[in-house]
Amino acid sequence: MEFLNAIVALSNYVLVPALAYGSQLALGALGVTLIYGILRFSNFAHGDTMAFGTMITILMTWWMQSVGIGLGPLPTALLALPFGIAGCAAMVLLTDRVVYRFYRAQKVKPVILVIVSMGVMFVMNGLVRFVIGPGDQRFADGERFIITALDFRMMTGLKEGLAIKTTQGITLVTAVIVVGVLFWFLTHTRTGKSMRAYSDNEDLALLSGINPERVVLVTWLIVAALATVAGTLYGLDKSFKPFTYFQLLLPIFASAIVGGLGSPLGAIAGGFVIAFSEVTITYAWKKVLVYLMPESLEPSGLVQLMSTDYKFAVSFVILLIVLLFRPTGLFRGKAV
Amino acid sequence: MSDNPYQDDRGNHDLTITRPGNEGQLGSHPGTGQPMETSEAFLIGDSMTGGYGKGPDILHECTIAVNRGEIAVIVGPNGAGKSTAMKAVFGMLDLRQGSVRLDGQDITDLSPQDRVAKGMGFVPQNANIFTSMTVEENLEMGAFIRRDDIRPTMEQVYELFPILRDKRRQAAGELSGGQRQQVAVGRALMTHPKVLMLDEPTAGVSPIVMDELFDRIIEVARTGIPILMVEQNARQALAIADKGYVMVQGRNAFTGTGKELLADPEVRKSFLGG
Amino acid sequence: MNPVIKNSALFALMAMLILLTGIMQSWNSALLILNMGLVSAVMALGVNLQWGFAGLFNVGVMGFVALGGLATVLISMPPVPAAWAAGGPGVLLGLLLGAASIGVAIWAYPRLPRGRVRVLGMTVILVIGFIIFRRVFDPAVEAIEAVDPATSGYLGGLGLWVVLSWPVGGVLAAGAAWIIGKSALGLRSDYLAIATLGIAEIVIAVLKNEDWLSRGVKNVIGLPRPVPNEVDLQNDPAFVEQATSLGLDPMTASSLYVKLGYALMFTVVLLILLWLAQKALHSPWGRMMRAIRDNETAAEAMGKDVKGRHLQVFILGSAICGIAGAMMTTLDGQLTPGTYQPLRFTFLIWVMVIVGGSGNNLGAVLGGFLIWFLWVQVEPISALAMEVITAGMAEDSPVRGHLLESAAQLRLLTMGVVLLLVLRFSPRGLIPEK
Repeated sequence: MEFLNAIVALSNYVLVPALAYGSQLALGALGVTLIYGILRFSNFAHGDTMAFGTMITILMTWWMQSVGIGLGPLPTALLALPFGIAGCAAMVLLTDRVVYRFYRAQKVKPVILVIVSMGVMFVMNGLVRFVIGPGDQRFADGERFIITALDFRMMTGLKEGLAIKTTQGITLVTAVIVVGVLFWFLTHTRTGKSMRAYSDNEDLALLSGINPERVVLVTWLIVAALATVAGTLYGLDKSFKPFTYFQLLLPIFASAIVGGLGSPLGAIAGGFVIAFSEVTITYAWKKVLVYLMPESLEPSGLVQLMSTDYKFAVSFVILLIVLLFRPTGLFRGKAV
Repeated sequence: MSDNPYQDDRGNHDLTITRPGNEGQLGSHPGTGQPMETSEAFLIGDSMTGGYGKGPDILHECTIAVNRGEIAVIVGPNGAGKSTAMKAVFGMLDLRQGSVRLDGQDITDLSPQDRVAKGMGFVPQNANIFTSMTVEENLEMGAFIRRDDIRPTMEQVYELFPILRDKRRQAAGELSGGQRQQVAVGRALMTHPKVLMLDEPTAGVSPIVMDELFDRIIEVARTGIPILMVEQNARQALAIADKGYVMVQGRNAFTGTGKELLADPEVRKSFLGG
Repeated sequence: MNPVIKNSALFALMAMLILLTGIMQSWNSALLILNMGLVSAVMALGVNLQWGFAGLFNVGVMGFVALGGLATVLISMPPVPAAWAAGGPGVLLGLLLGAASIGVAIWAYPRLPRGRVRVLGMTVILVIGFIIFRRVFDPAVEAIEAVDPATSGYLGGLGLWVVLSWPVGGVLAAGAAWIIGKSALGLRSDYLAIATLGIAEIVIAVLKNEDWLSRGVKNVIGLPRPVPNEVDLQNDPAFVEQATSLGLDPMTASSLYVKLGYALMFTVVLLILLWLAQKALHSPWGRMMRAIRDNETAAEAMGKDVKGRHLQVFILGSAICGIAGAMMTTLDGQLTPGTYQPLRFTFLIWVMVIVGGSGNNLGAVLGGFLIWFLWVQVEPISALAMEVITAGMAEDSPVRGHLLESAAQLRLLTMGVVLLLVLRFSPRGLIPEK
């Protein structure tokens, strides 16, 4: 019984939140890694791209809520998501046309593109703050919980409860679907394969008659979709604030690099590695340990390895360790 | 099949892997001062002069031609401009003079990509496969410009390179050097080319693998597709060549059939090392 | 055009802009812009040293600037004896033990056999070290933070002259740069970028959380100043007399006097650093730096110690950012860890360097002034523009309200557009590298 309680507490405070957070990071890191593989630069504007797509979704959600369209127990944002993706896609395609294409034609060094993406980051960040404001926005509606802690306790008779938020469930389900579709696309369609070919060997892809502009276009579309989905899920699960999205850049890049930049599979693995490390290291383990240890040994403190504010340090340290001991990441990424 | 591949007269012309085109019609051969039979050349880089970008000329009045159903080999010392000559034929060089014609059509102004569409299959020396993709996907990517059914062509490639069929689900990057070269040639064949161009296909492989590769190339040639090839291993290359070009400092130094060149005392003395 | 004339004209134009601010708005705001412009110019010099000279991509400027701010507190604030008595030795011992366990780990790493034993050994060393560290450190921190938390709750500083903190800020930043440089400089440029981005966030997290050190989000206010206090000046009859003889009321005069004092000190620092940077640029060292930047492989083949040079220039550039950070905190008179934001303290500095002209010290300085001027002035200008745009709308229109309210956010947008325009149409910046 004690042991079961410990497991439930662990799931409630560590496993479930980390799974949800990891899925969000993985989706974000997939976008970063795709841009890196195809356009060959680290896109510093990715966090703000996520914020932009999410903002469109939120605006649509509010409009839908105001006219009474909804999904019942599910959040209305799911219904607004396609509009967010479309808006975000329009935005990134416009950016590509106005900004990036010029540099692509010049064949500039990747680091110049990174600086260019800094400019885009400023513009997008400013735009989002201008439209929706710099403050916190909540847009989640529908049922809050799939199962509440109370229900769980009643059901199982355990002392510990397990609460699963609707947003956590939706995050996981959506992430699985999105990743599944993406991998199917990359391995089973002509366009997807041509993207992988282009990422693998640009010159040979050109020799094979693959049209680079088309590959780039499709990549941006996919990235817009991934960014909007990741951003909306994160916003539903926590809340939407432009600055937070900018700060997500660090764990997202850490995930992509830990997994191996340019490797989609690595991005997913990296997302979960970072999420689980962050949550476990900043979690106060007392609640779990009291069930596992004999009374005399019970910890007096919170048994929290680090305060929550140091979560960046966690991503950072994992990043450094991986870079120092396995520079190409867990799944050999590519070096440009 | 005869025991010695170099003596084979390649009677087995199976043209179905190539794209049948119009018969080329060429005028008189250009005035390079080098007697050359190019009137029926299928692919010809005609008195090419040029270099990379605005740099100095690397090629000087260089002429390279391949006839229908033949293997032409470019050999020469290091830095002689062998690969450059082939790249010029493929359009990766800025020509100041001369022209390139394929199947009677002037393609001098086309980009390399457009030349691929016109039927030139090119296998670069390095980075000539998609390492992270499976062998089969490599072949599919080769056929990217085609909209017709590619399965028969793939079947033919597997027949030419049986090892690829066994490894078709493996990532190409995991294969050995010789197998990678087979993937590279197979990928080029998938474009349904009218002519195949190989840039040092045996560079960096062991002698045993090299022999095997030459065998494979002869097999490919036997299908009837003309092959233009740059080679370091001059002796072996000339032995299988219908036509050989010895280049020195960006110019044609000697031209003739492979056997002629191998027998030419001057070529032997100055270039083949006795 | 002759570059000397062109550059002088550009700087004259910049001076005109600041003078214009003085005439049209107020001399107070003009001097504010000038002072922060000077600080920004120093930061831009530091980043230019790393990016312009050596091509190192450091997006952790914020962290080094914040370390400079921390130095100001550590040097200038009076010590809190009660806090020292409560937990000073404990904290120091804890830190020492923490450092020691990392030292032991580094020492043991090459001595342990590869494989499982090494992994296990390292884990044991680090876990035990961590537990000991926390056992000693935590109670000490708690004791310190319990000492009069409303006003102190931290160890305080050394109570020295505040200007001393500027070089110390440089040293602190240099130390951090050494640690990160040692571990991350060998990496590719975008990995280095992410690593520096991370270290900056960690520095801020430390400042926000380690209350015993910096009071965290409770802020340290009332830092000692290197210039007289306005109130003291206003009470000084000699000063008041002088001010009135110049036709100024004592209030304005005192504030101008103080700001001019800062401006003078900052100008001296900027000129010294600029002179040094110019010397470095034209020295064999600077030429080698640029040679490495332009072709690392060739420089390495010629026997240049690329990694060593990179570490040097990385430390120097970061130190300059640290000095600027200390100057800024001195100017503000307070350390507020919550206000450090990467957009403002890292990426804005980058805009300065790129717009000014990377690789050119004068360009970086000009960029520092110009972009800071824009950063300050875009807000009133966009507010004005919004007034004009919305003039035709109904007084209570929600769109109008939103537009007026959000005008302040246009600042970031403008900076992005400026950066993109310069990158596109004048990629070498206003004053290009020769």
